Amino acid sequence: MSARRPTASLDRGTAAVLVAIAILAPLIFNTYWIGTLLTQMLFLGIVAASLIFLSAYGGMVSLAQVALYGIAGFAIGNLTTNGNTKGLNLGWTPLAAIPVALAITIGLGLLFGALSSRSVGIYFLMITLTFSVIANLFFGQVTSLSGFGGISGIPAPGFIGNVDHHPDRLYYLALVLALLVYALLRYIARTPFGLTLQGIRDDPVRMSSLGYNVTLHRTLAFGFASFIAAIGGVLFAYWNGHIDPATIGLGATIDVLVVAVIGGLSRLEGAWLGALVFVLINNYAQRIGFVSDRFHTLIGVVFLVIVLLSPDGLMGLWGRLGDLRRRGERPGQAPTGGSERGSGELEPTV
Amino acid sequence: MTENAVTPGAAPILRLRGVGRRFGGLDAVSDVDLDVGPGERRAILGPNGAGKTTLFNVISGDMPATAGTIEFLGEDVGQIPASGRSKRGMGRTYQKSRLFLGLSVEDNLYLAVLGNQTGHLRPFRRSRDGDIRERARELAGAVGLQGKCDALVGSMSHGEQRQLEVAMARAGDPKLMLLDEPASGLSRGERVALTDLLLELDPSITLILIEHDMDVALRVANRVTMMHDGRKIVEGTPDEIRANDLVHELYLGGRVAGAEEDGA
Repeated sequence: MSARRPTASLDRGTAAVLVAIAILAPLIFNTYWIGTLLTQMLFLGIVAASLIFLSAYGGMVSLAQVALYGIAGFAIGNLTTNGNTKGLNLGWTPLAAIPVALAITIGLGLLFGALSSRSVGIYFLMITLTFSVIANLFFGQVTSLSGFGGISGIPAPGFIGNVDHHPDRLYYLALVLALLVYALLRYIARTPFGLTLQGIRDDPVRMSSLGYNVTLHRTLAFGFASFIAAIGGVLFAYWNGHIDPATIGLGATIDVLVVAVIGGLSRLEGAWLGALVFVLINNYAQRIGFVSDRFHTLIGVVFLVIVLLSPDGLMGLWGRLGDLRRRGERPGQAPTGGSERGSGELEPTV
Repeated sequence: MTENAVTPGAAPILRLRGVGRRFGGLDAVSDVDLDVGPGERRAILGPNGAGKTTLFNVISGDMPATAGTIEFLGEDVGQIPASGRSKRGMGRTYQKSRLFLGLSVEDNLYLAVLGNQTGHLRPFRRSRDGDIRERARELAGAVGLQGKCDALVGSMSHGEQRQLEVAMARAGDPKLMLLDEPASGLSRGERVALTDLLLELDPSITLILIEHDMDVALRVANRVTMMHDGRKIVEGTPDEIRANDLVHELYLGGRVAGAEEDGA
C-alpha cells in the first residue's frame, strides 16, 4: 500500500479567502455563474469528496458513488412528484422526503459495501462499476420508478423556492452542506473510526491481527460515503428538477472519477477544485465551435496533462508550489522537503 | 547472557503438538512439537525456507494450521482467528515491517493499543482517546522513539521502523511476543541497540524470536530451537546449540563428516 497521508495543503489564510469569496459570490458573479456553474461545482464536489474520502482514507476507489447519488435523486423524485407518467408519484412534501431518500441510499450503500468490501484494488473497482451499471439499467427498465425518460418537475423545499427565480438560495444551501461535509470528513479522519480506516488502507492484515474487523469497517465506511454522495444527489434533484438514468450513466460515473483525479485523489479539497475545473471546461468548451462536439476529447487531454504533470492532481501541484515557495524563502536550506511525500504518492491507490 | 527464567515443571504458555502447514504439495511446516514456558526467551533458528515464519503465522493465527494442535495458556486456539489470539495475549512483529506508513508513529501505536479495546467504530473523539494516546507515547518512548511521535512512519529509517515494530507488538500488553527477525536489515549499531531493547523487556513476557543473526539470537535467548525443511531438528541451550555439529553443518555452513544428507 502507499505511503500517502491525506493532508490539507491549504493554509488557513487561503482557505479563509476562498470561503469569503464563496460567501460573497452572489455579489461578485452573475446569476448564470451562481445558479448554473458554482452550484453545480458544489454538489459535484460533494459526490467527488465521497469518492476521495474512500480512496484517500480507505484505499478504496469506488465507481459506485454516482449510482448512489442517483439513487438519492431518484428517491427524491419518486417521493415528491405528482402527475408524472412514470415513477411512483407519491407527492410527499419535499422536507419529509429528504430523510427517507438518505436512508434508502445509506441502506443500499451498506448492501453494496457488504458485497464489495472483501475485494481490493482492481476487483473492488470492477465490482463498484458493476453497481453503477446495474443502477443505470435498473432505473431505465423499471418504469414504475423511472424509465428512460426519467422524472420531471421535482419540487424543491419551500425555503429554496423556485430555483430559477432564486438561484442564491440553493447555492447557499449547497455551500453550507459542502462546508459541513468537508468539516465532517476532516473530523472523522481523526476519530477512532477514521484512524482505523486509515490503518486498514495501509495494512489490512496487520489491522486484522491487532483485533479489528476489517470487512465490517470497510462496509461501514462505504455506507458512510454513500450518505455523503446522497447529499449531493438530493441537491442535484433540486437543482435540475429532473432526473433520468443518463444522469448516472457510465459517462457520469467517469466524469466524477475525472473530477476527483483532476483535483487530487488524496486530498479532500481536490473534490471541489476538480469540480470547478470540470464545470468550467464543460460549460465553456461547448461554446467553442471546434471543440463543442469534442468535449470529452478536451477533458481527456486536460486529464492526461494534469495526471502526467502531477499524479496527485491540482492539489498536489498546489502543495509542490508551496514547497518551492518555502524553499525560495530559505535559500540556505537544503531541499529535503521532498522526502515526506513518499514514493506512494506517485501511484493512485487502486 | 540472560539467565534461564523458566520454572522447571511450570505449565507451558504455548504448547504445539504435531503442527503442520501444507501449501499444495509443499509441507512448509510439518510435525512440530514445541513447549515454551512462561518467561522463556526462545530463539528459532534455521536456514531460509526452514519454515520459521510459517510456524509464526500458524501460531499467531495469520494462517490456519493444516495439522496438529496449538494450545495457548492452556486453551486450544487452533480455531481462533488472529484477532482473538491477540486479545488473549499474543503480540507479534513481522519480518517485513507491517506498519501503517501513511500515519504517524503515535497514530500507529494508538491503533495498536485500541485494537484490543472496544470502540473501533466510534465516529467521535472522547477523553478516553487521550489516555490511549498517552499510552502510545509511552510505548514510543520505551523503544527510543519519544522524539518521533509525529513523524510519518513512511518517511522514517528502516531501523526506526523495526523499533516501532517491537513497540506495536508490546502495545496489547502481550504475555507472549513473537518477534520475526527484528534485527533484519539493521546496521551493526542498530542491532546492538535493538538487542539491548529486547533484553530490557519485562521478564514476565515470554519471547519467541526468529533471528538470522546468531549474536542477537544467542544473546537474547535462553533456549534455542533449530528448524530445517519444516521440521524441528535440534533443541537446547545456546551452548548446546553452539556445540552441535548438525547446526554447524546446516546453519553456519561448516562441513561435518558423517552428517546426514539434506532431507530432499
